Amino acid sequence: MPKLRHIAIAAEDPEAMAEFYKKAFDFKEVGRPNGYLADGVFLSDGTLNMAILKFKTDQLGKGMDYRGLHHFGVLVEDVEEFEKKLESLGAEHYIDQGQDGHQAGYFEKKFYGPEKVLFDIAEHGWAGAEPLPAPMKDAAE
Amino acid sequence: MAKLRHLAIACKDPDAMADFYMKAFDFKNVRTSDGPLAYGHHLSDGTIDLAILRFKSDQIGKGMDYTGLHHFGILVENVDEAQKVVEALGGTHYLDTTAQGPGGFEIKMYGPEGVLFDVAEHPWTGAEALPAQVKEAAD
Repeated sequence: MPKLRHIAIAAEDPEAMAEFYKKAFDFKEVGRPNGYLADGVFLSDGTLNMAILKFKTDQLGKGMDYRGLHHFGVLVEDVEEFEKKLESLGAEHYIDQGQDGHQAGYFEKKFYGPEKVLFDIAEHGWAGAEPLPAPMKDAAE
Repeated sequence: MAKLRHLAIACKDPDAMADFYMKAFDFKNVRTSDGPLAYGHHLSDGTIDLAILRFKSDQIGKGMDYTGLHHFGILVENVDEAQKVVEALGGTHYLDTTAQGPGGFEIKMYGPEGVLFDVAEHPWTGAEALPAQVKEAAD
Protein backbone atom coordinates (compact mmCIF):
# COMPACT_ATOMS: atom_id res chain seq x y z
CA MET A 1 0.00 0.00 0.00
CA PRO A 2 1.26 3.52 -0.72
CA LYS A 3 2.23 5.50 2.34
CA LEU A 4 1.80 9.10 3.43
CA ARG A 5 5.37 10.20 3.97
CA HIS A 6 5.46 13.98 3.51
CA ILE A 7 3.59 17.04 4.67
CA ALA A 8 4.44 20.59 3.73
CA ILE A 9 3.62 23.77 5.60
CA ALA A 10 3.68 27.21 4.03
CA ALA A 11 5.48 29.56 6.41
CA GLU A 12 6.64 33.15 6.41
CA ASP A 13 9.63 32.22 8.57
CA PRO A 14 10.57 28.56 8.01
CA GLU A 15 13.63 28.87 10.24
CA ALA A 16 11.65 29.93 13.30
CA MET A 17 8.89 27.42 12.67
CA ALA A 18 11.36 24.58 12.25
CA GLU A 19 13.05 25.52 15.52
CA PHE A 20 9.70 25.30 17.24
CA TYR A 21 8.98 21.74 16.05
CA LYS A 22 12.53 20.61 16.72
CA LYS A 23 12.35 21.85 20.30
CA ALA A 24 8.75 20.83 20.94
CA PHE A 25 8.81 17.31 19.52
CA ASP A 26 12.47 16.48 18.98
CA PHE A 27 12.04 16.32 15.21
CA LYS A 28 15.39 16.23 13.45
CA GLU A 29 16.55 18.58 10.73
CA VAL A 30 17.41 16.52 7.65
CA GLY A 31 17.75 19.08 4.89
CA ARG A 32 17.61 22.63 3.59
CA PRO A 33 15.76 22.61 0.30
CA ASN A 34 16.41 25.53 -1.99
CA GLY A 35 14.50 25.01 -5.19
CA TYR A 36 12.61 26.98 -7.74
CA LEU A 37 9.34 26.34 -5.93
CA ALA A 38 10.35 26.95 -2.33
CA ASP A 39 13.09 27.35 0.27
CA GLY A 40 12.98 26.05 3.81
CA VAL A 41 13.78 23.30 6.23
CA PHE A 42 13.10 19.56 6.10
CA LEU A 43 12.37 17.90 9.43
CA SER A 44 11.83 14.22 10.16
CA ASP A 45 10.13 12.27 12.92
CA GLY A 46 11.82 9.13 11.62
CA THR A 47 8.81 8.20 9.48
CA LEU A 48 7.59 11.33 7.72
CA ASN A 49 9.30 14.27 6.11
CA MET A 50 7.84 17.54 7.38
CA ALA A 51 8.76 20.35 5.00
CA ILE A 52 8.49 23.87 6.35
CA LEU A 53 8.68 26.06 3.33
CA LYS A 54 8.50 29.59 2.04
CA PHE A 55 6.89 29.15 -1.34
CA LYS A 56 7.89 31.21 -4.35
CA THR A 57 4.70 30.71 -6.34
CA ASP A 58 1.01 30.42 -5.52
CA GLN A 59 0.46 26.70 -6.07
CA LEU A 60 -2.85 26.54 -4.24
CA GLY A 61 -4.61 29.56 -5.67
CA LYS A 62 -4.93 30.97 -2.17
CA GLY A 63 -2.50 33.83 -2.68
CA MET A 64 1.13 34.35 -1.74
CA ASP A 65 0.10 35.35 1.77
CA TYR A 66 -1.32 31.91 2.50
CA ARG A 67 0.13 30.34 5.66
CA GLY A 68 -0.68 26.90 6.96
CA LEU A 69 -0.68 23.31 5.78
CA HIS A 70 0.00 23.27 2.08
CA HIS A 71 0.21 19.76 0.61
CA PHE A 72 1.09 16.18 1.40
CA GLY A 73 3.08 13.47 -0.32
CA VAL A 74 2.43 9.80 -0.93
CA LEU A 75 5.22 7.31 -1.49
CA VAL A 76 4.28 4.81 -4.20
CA GLU A 77 5.93 1.84 -5.87
CA ASP A 78 5.62 3.17 -9.42
CA VAL A 79 5.03 6.83 -10.22
CA GLU A 80 4.06 6.26 -13.85
CA GLU A 81 1.48 3.67 -12.92
CA PHE A 82 -0.01 5.92 -10.28
CA GLU A 83 -0.05 8.91 -12.59
CA LYS A 84 -2.30 6.97 -14.96
CA LYS A 85 -4.51 5.83 -12.13
CA LEU A 86 -4.85 9.30 -10.65
CA GLU A 87 -5.73 10.86 -13.97
CA SER A 88 -8.33 8.16 -14.59
CA LEU A 89 -9.90 9.16 -11.29
CA GLY A 90 -10.05 12.80 -12.33
CA ALA A 91 -6.88 14.17 -10.71
CA GLU A 92 -5.08 16.90 -12.61
CA HIS A 93 -1.31 16.78 -13.13
CA TYR A 94 0.29 20.04 -12.05
CA ILE A 95 4.07 19.79 -12.33
CA ASP A 96 7.04 17.47 -12.01
CA GLN A 97 9.79 18.45 -9.65
CA GLY A 98 13.28 17.09 -9.29
CA GLN A 99 14.28 16.65 -12.89
CA ASP A 100 17.17 18.45 -14.53
CA GLY A 101 19.25 18.42 -11.40
CA HIS A 102 16.79 20.31 -9.24
CA GLN A 103 16.34 18.86 -5.77
CA ALA A 104 18.79 16.07 -6.57
CA GLY A 105 17.95 12.82 -4.90
CA TYR A 106 14.27 12.77 -5.45
CA PHE A 107 11.64 13.18 -8.09
CA GLU A 108 7.98 13.83 -7.53
CA LYS A 109 4.87 14.58 -9.49
CA LYS A 110 2.34 17.05 -8.16
CA PHE A 111 -1.37 16.59 -8.67
CA TYR A 112 -4.58 18.32 -7.77
CA GLY A 113 -7.13 15.93 -6.34
CA PRO A 114 -10.76 16.59 -5.47
CA GLU A 115 -11.50 20.16 -4.41
CA LYS A 116 -8.06 21.20 -5.73
CA VAL A 117 -6.16 19.64 -2.83
CA LEU A 118 -2.52 19.43 -3.87
CA PHE A 119 -0.46 16.30 -3.27
CA ASP A 120 2.77 14.75 -4.51
CA ILE A 121 3.61 11.21 -5.43
CA ALA A 122 7.16 9.88 -5.44
CA GLU A 123 8.99 6.57 -5.67
CA HIS A 124 12.04 7.70 -3.75
CA GLY A 125 11.29 8.93 -0.30
CA TRP A 126 11.62 12.52 0.79
CA ALA A 127 14.58 13.26 3.06
CA GLY A 128 14.12 11.59 6.42
CA ALA A 129 11.06 9.62 5.34
CA GLU A 130 10.83 5.90 5.93
CA PRO A 131 10.84 3.76 2.77
CA LEU A 132 7.92 1.55 1.84
CA PRO A 133 7.85 -1.69 3.83
CA ALA A 134 10.35 -4.13 2.34
CA PRO A 135 7.97 -6.96 1.35
CA MET A 136 5.87 -4.57 -0.74
CA LYS A 137 8.94 -3.05 -2.32
CA ASP A 138 10.43 -6.46 -3.10
CA ALA A 139 7.18 -7.67 -4.59
CA ALA A 140 7.08 -4.65 -6.85
CA GLU A 141 10.60 -5.27 -8.16
CA MET B 1 10.45 10.69 19.66
CA ALA B 2 6.95 12.00 19.03
CA LYS B 3 5.39 10.95 15.73
CA LEU B 4 3.22 12.61 13.10
CA ARG B 5 0.23 10.29 12.93
CA HIS B 6 -2.75 12.35 11.79
CA LEU B 7 -3.53 14.68 8.92
CA ALA B 8 -6.87 16.39 8.43
CA ILE B 9 -8.26 17.86 5.21
CA ALA B 10 -11.14 20.31 5.17
CA CYS B 11 -13.54 19.71 2.30
CA LYS B 12 -17.09 20.22 1.12
CA ASP B 13 -17.77 16.60 0.16
CA PRO B 14 -15.98 14.12 2.47
CA ASP B 15 -17.74 11.13 0.88
CA ALA B 16 -16.41 11.86 -2.61
CA MET B 17 -12.95 12.84 -1.43
CA ALA B 18 -12.56 9.75 0.75
CA ASP B 19 -13.66 7.58 -2.15
CA PHE B 20 -10.98 9.16 -4.34
CA TYR B 21 -8.13 8.40 -1.91
CA MET B 22 -9.40 4.90 -1.23
CA LYS B 23 -9.44 4.14 -4.96
CA ALA B 24 -6.23 5.99 -5.73
CA PHE B 25 -4.00 4.67 -2.95
CA ASP B 26 -5.92 1.75 -1.46
CA PHE B 27 -6.27 3.60 1.85
CA LYS B 28 -8.81 1.93 4.13
CA ASN B 29 -11.83 3.63 5.63
CA VAL B 30 -11.48 2.90 9.34
CA ARG B 31 -14.14 5.17 10.76
CA THR B 32 -16.88 7.59 9.83
CA SER B 33 -17.52 10.26 12.42
CA ASP B 34 -20.10 12.98 12.93
CA GLY B 35 -19.14 14.95 16.01
CA PRO B 36 -19.58 18.50 17.23
CA LEU B 37 -16.53 19.68 15.28
CA ALA B 38 -16.83 17.87 11.97
CA TYR B 39 -18.36 15.16 9.79
CA GLY B 40 -16.22 12.89 7.70
CA HIS B 41 -14.15 9.79 7.17
CA HIS B 42 -10.91 8.53 8.65
CA LEU B 43 -8.71 6.69 6.19
CA SER B 44 -5.57 4.78 7.06
CA ASP B 45 -2.43 3.82 5.17
CA GLY B 46 -1.49 1.59 8.11
CA THR B 47 0.57 4.33 9.74
CA ILE B 48 -1.27 7.64 9.46
CA ASP B 49 -4.88 8.59 10.09
CA LEU B 50 -6.03 10.75 7.16
CA ALA B 51 -9.18 12.54 8.26
CA ILE B 52 -11.31 13.95 5.46
CA LEU B 53 -13.71 16.29 7.15
CA ARG B 54 -16.40 18.87 6.67
CA PHE B 55 -15.83 21.18 9.63
CA LYS B 56 -18.66 22.77 11.56
CA SER B 57 -16.69 25.73 12.87
CA ASP B 58 -13.83 27.89 11.65
CA GLN B 59 -10.92 26.56 13.67
CA ILE B 60 -8.13 28.08 11.62
CA GLY B 61 -9.48 31.54 10.91
CA LYS B 62 -9.71 31.03 7.17
CA GLY B 63 -13.49 31.05 6.97
CA MET B 64 -16.05 28.30 6.61
CA ASP B 65 -15.46 28.11 2.86
CA TYR B 66 -11.83 27.08 3.31
CA THR B 67 -10.94 23.77 1.72
CA GLY B 68 -7.52 22.16 1.83
CA LEU B 69 -5.14 20.78 4.39
CA HIS B 70 -6.37 21.80 7.83
CA HIS B 71 -4.26 20.44 10.69
CA PHE B 72 -2.00 17.59 11.67
CA GLY B 73 -1.65 15.48 14.79
CA ILE B 74 1.34 14.37 16.78
CA LEU B 75 1.35 11.27 18.94
CA VAL B 76 3.26 11.85 22.16
CA GLU B 77 4.05 9.84 25.25
CA ASN B 78 2.55 12.37 27.64
CA VAL B 79 0.02 15.00 26.59
CA ASP B 80 0.36 17.16 29.69
CA GLU B 81 4.10 17.29 29.35
CA ALA B 82 3.85 18.08 25.63
CA GLN B 83 1.37 20.87 26.31
CA LYS B 84 3.75 22.47 28.80
CA VAL B 85 6.63 22.28 26.33
CA VAL B 86 4.55 23.73 23.50
CA GLU B 87 3.28 26.57 25.69
CA ALA B 88 6.78 27.34 26.92
CA LEU B 89 7.80 27.70 23.29
CA GLY B 90 4.96 30.15 22.58
CA GLY B 91 2.27 27.75 21.35
CA THR B 92 -1.26 28.37 22.55
CA HIS B 93 -3.92 25.95 23.69
CA TYR B 94 -7.12 26.00 21.63
CA LEU B 95 -9.34 23.26 23.01
CA ASP B 96 -9.57 19.71 24.24
CA THR B 97 -11.71 17.23 22.37
CA THR B 98 -13.09 13.84 23.16
CA ALA B 99 -14.13 12.33 19.87
CA GLN B 100 -16.09 9.15 19.47
CA GLY B 101 -14.13 5.95 19.34
CA PRO B 102 -10.78 4.84 20.73
CA GLY B 103 -7.96 7.27 21.22
CA GLY B 104 -10.34 10.17 20.88
CA PHE B 105 -8.83 12.53 23.43
CA GLU B 106 -6.58 15.18 22.04
CA ILE B 107 -5.45 18.69 22.76
CA LYS B 108 -5.57 21.20 19.95
CA MET B 109 -2.89 23.84 19.90
CA TYR B 110 -1.74 26.68 17.69
CA GLY B 111 1.94 26.79 16.84
CA PRO B 112 3.92 29.47 15.00
CA GLU B 113 2.00 31.45 12.37
CA GLY B 114 -1.29 30.07 13.68
CA VAL B 115 -0.76 26.53 12.39
CA LEU B 116 -3.17 24.22 14.19
CA PHE B 117 -2.07 20.80 15.42
CA ASP B 118 -3.29 18.15 17.84
CA VAL B 119 -1.32 16.24 20.42
CA ALA B 120 -2.58 12.91 21.73
CA GLU B 121 -1.29 9.96 23.72
CA HIS B 122 -3.50 7.37 22.08
CA PRO B 123 -3.19 6.74 18.35
CA TRP B 124 -5.92 8.08 16.12
CA THR B 125 -8.03 5.37 14.51
CA GLY B 126 -5.92 3.45 12.03
CA ALA B 127 -2.70 5.14 13.12
CA GLU B 128 0.37 3.24 14.22
CA ALA B 129 1.31 3.44 17.89
CA LEU B 130 4.57 4.95 19.07
CA PRO B 131 7.46 2.48 18.79
CA ALA B 132 7.64 2.25 22.60
CA GLN B 133 3.93 1.44 22.77
CA VAL B 134 4.31 -1.29 20.14
CA LYS B 135 7.21 -2.80 22.07
CA GLU B 136 5.25 -2.63 25.33
CA ALA B 137 2.27 -4.37 23.73
CA ALA B 138 4.51 -7.12 22.37
CA ASP B 139 6.22 -7.74 25.72
